[in-house]
Amino acid sequence: MKSIITIGLPSKGRLKDRAIAFFNDRGLRILNSDKERNYFAVIENKSNIKIIYLHAKEIIQRLGDGTLDIGISGLDLLKESEKNLQDRINIKKKLDFGDANLVVAVPDDWIDVQTIADLEEVSFDIRSKLSTRLRVATKYPNLTNNFLISKGVTQYKLVSSLGATETYPFIGSSEVITDITSTGKTLEDNNLRVLKDGLILKSTACLFISKKRIGKLKSLLNSLKLI
Amino acid sequence: MKSKKLSELIINTFKKNGFVLSEPDVLLDSEYIIQRSGENFRRSMLTFENENGKIMCLRPDLTVASCIKFIEKKSKSKIYYSGQAYRRTNNKSSDLINDQLGIEILGSKNQTQDDYKVIKTILDSAKRIKSKNIQIKVGDINLFKCLINSLDMPERWKLRLVRHFWRPKYFEELLKRLEKNSDIDAVTFDTDKKRFNEMKKMEQDKLIAGRSISEILKRFDKKIKDPRSFNEGKYIVKIIRSFLKINCKLSKLDEKLLEFVKKNNLKKNIFSKLNSIENLKKLKQEANFITNFGRDIEYYTGIVFEIFSGKNKVASGGRYDDLLKSLGAKKNIPAVGAAINLNNI
Repeated sequence: MKSIITIGLPSKGRLKDRAIAFFNDRGLRILNSDKERNYFAVIENKSNIKIIYLHAKEIIQRLGDGTLDIGISGLDLLKESEKNLQDRINIKKKLDFGDANLVVAVPDDWIDVQTIADLEEVSFDIRSKLSTRLRVATKYPNLTNNFLISKGVTQYKLVSSLGATETYPFIGSSEVITDITSTGKTLEDNNLRVLKDGLILKSTACLFISKKRIGKLKSLLNSLKLI
Repeated sequence: MKSKKLSELIINTFKKNGFVLSEPDVLLDSEYIIQRSGENFRRSMLTFENENGKIMCLRPDLTVASCIKFIEKKSKSKIYYSGQAYRRTNNKSSDLINDQLGIEILGSKNQTQDDYKVIKTILDSAKRIKSKNIQIKVGDINLFKCLINSLDMPERWKLRLVRHFWRPKYFEELLKRLEKNSDIDAVTFDTDKKRFNEMKKMEQDKLIAGRSISEILKRFDKKIKDPRSFNEGKYIVKIIRSFLKINCKLSKLDEKLLEFVKKNNLKKNIFSKLNSIENLKKLKQEANFITNFGRDIEYYTGIVFEIFSGKNKVASGGRYDDLLKSLGAKKNIPAVGAAINLNNI
């Protein structure tokens, strides 16, 4: 009996469509369930492959705990995850969709702040005037921390955000933000501007595999032309 | 048991020199520490959420915990402490729990005298338990500030170098940037100049993400007037690097500094306030003066020292004049202190 291979794909939107197309284009046709909201699917003529639709963040977690053998998700989500999780996951291929940048953005009208060096100076101003720290709202605390520290910004405090981070500077919840952006439109429409050297991570959708299972995935990766 | 005896010996020396026991809290509000030490420190702390949803931490350091106690007006000014501090590090071989035994003069009124008192007390304690091959290394963070202030470069570069002196790796990156004159601030301001003129007509008190328009415009204006690029970078970095190489016997310090100043065509009087360092000659103990020293702790502002017995570092300390204010004290409270490293004895 062949062992079952479990693949996790994003459950929503463009990322889902492009992930399905990735398999279809390589001759592995995905057959979805008749029930519209069912989370499971199979691949035509491959009884040993199981497909599960999951939240993109969940895909990283499940690859890490061994529930999934293969998954498509964002590089940003992998890099943000805990180190012990990252150690268990291989980036097999960067895919040509899901491009997005994690960036540091400030209010457009902070015309004196163009670079991280400026931000560092302003953070000291805030510290000495108000004796508080510059607040940075983000959904990506780990990546943001590492980036800011490496650029010499120390006088800040993270505010964790679950969504609509772009509003934070204008409702008094933070002064600046870091967020993921693909076209820059949401930032622009909310009067925010990316710093000139404020690129934290260039992200894209990736095909990840669980390191433990590399052996049993050989023939599948072969047919996906990934070996 | 052996270590208990040793700590008793040390504590007796502390007491004899007029230091009184302070027992700082074991649990601290972690937001308080983050506010001071920065977000990066979060990973070093051992934290938990209490029943009110407040994040508490085990005291990561007894100096900080003692300062908090002092600000709450719950301790005397000249104190000693003996207890455990709890801190995570990336280094697997180092312990989570550190026994710390130290003294502090919080609200130090006479810098020269108090610096001497702390070093002398710690040196005497160290000698009582380890008498062989005692050596002292000293430095002075303030000397670096004096040097930077005497050099001709844009103000924001001065601030940057002083602020990041305690992070040698990033400091080195700054030097490289300065050397190549590639200040990343050098950008064109044309489009922003237009917005600058528009914003000038707006209500100046209006806040944008916590900063007033007048504050933004003022800084923008200052930036334009500050020299954009300058050719002296390489020369200045050379001076800084040669300063950081100074390493001499304490008795030769005057000579060395004079030599350094002459060689680099600097004014003779740039190094002020050397009293504390000079005064250490009274210890009658061989000491080395090193400029590239004491750079791992952010809060030191003046004299810094380490005491060795052979290769083992048995004690360290220094002056930290800004720490109490940054922890919430209403005014500047100068302070100096040191701790014995029991694990190395």
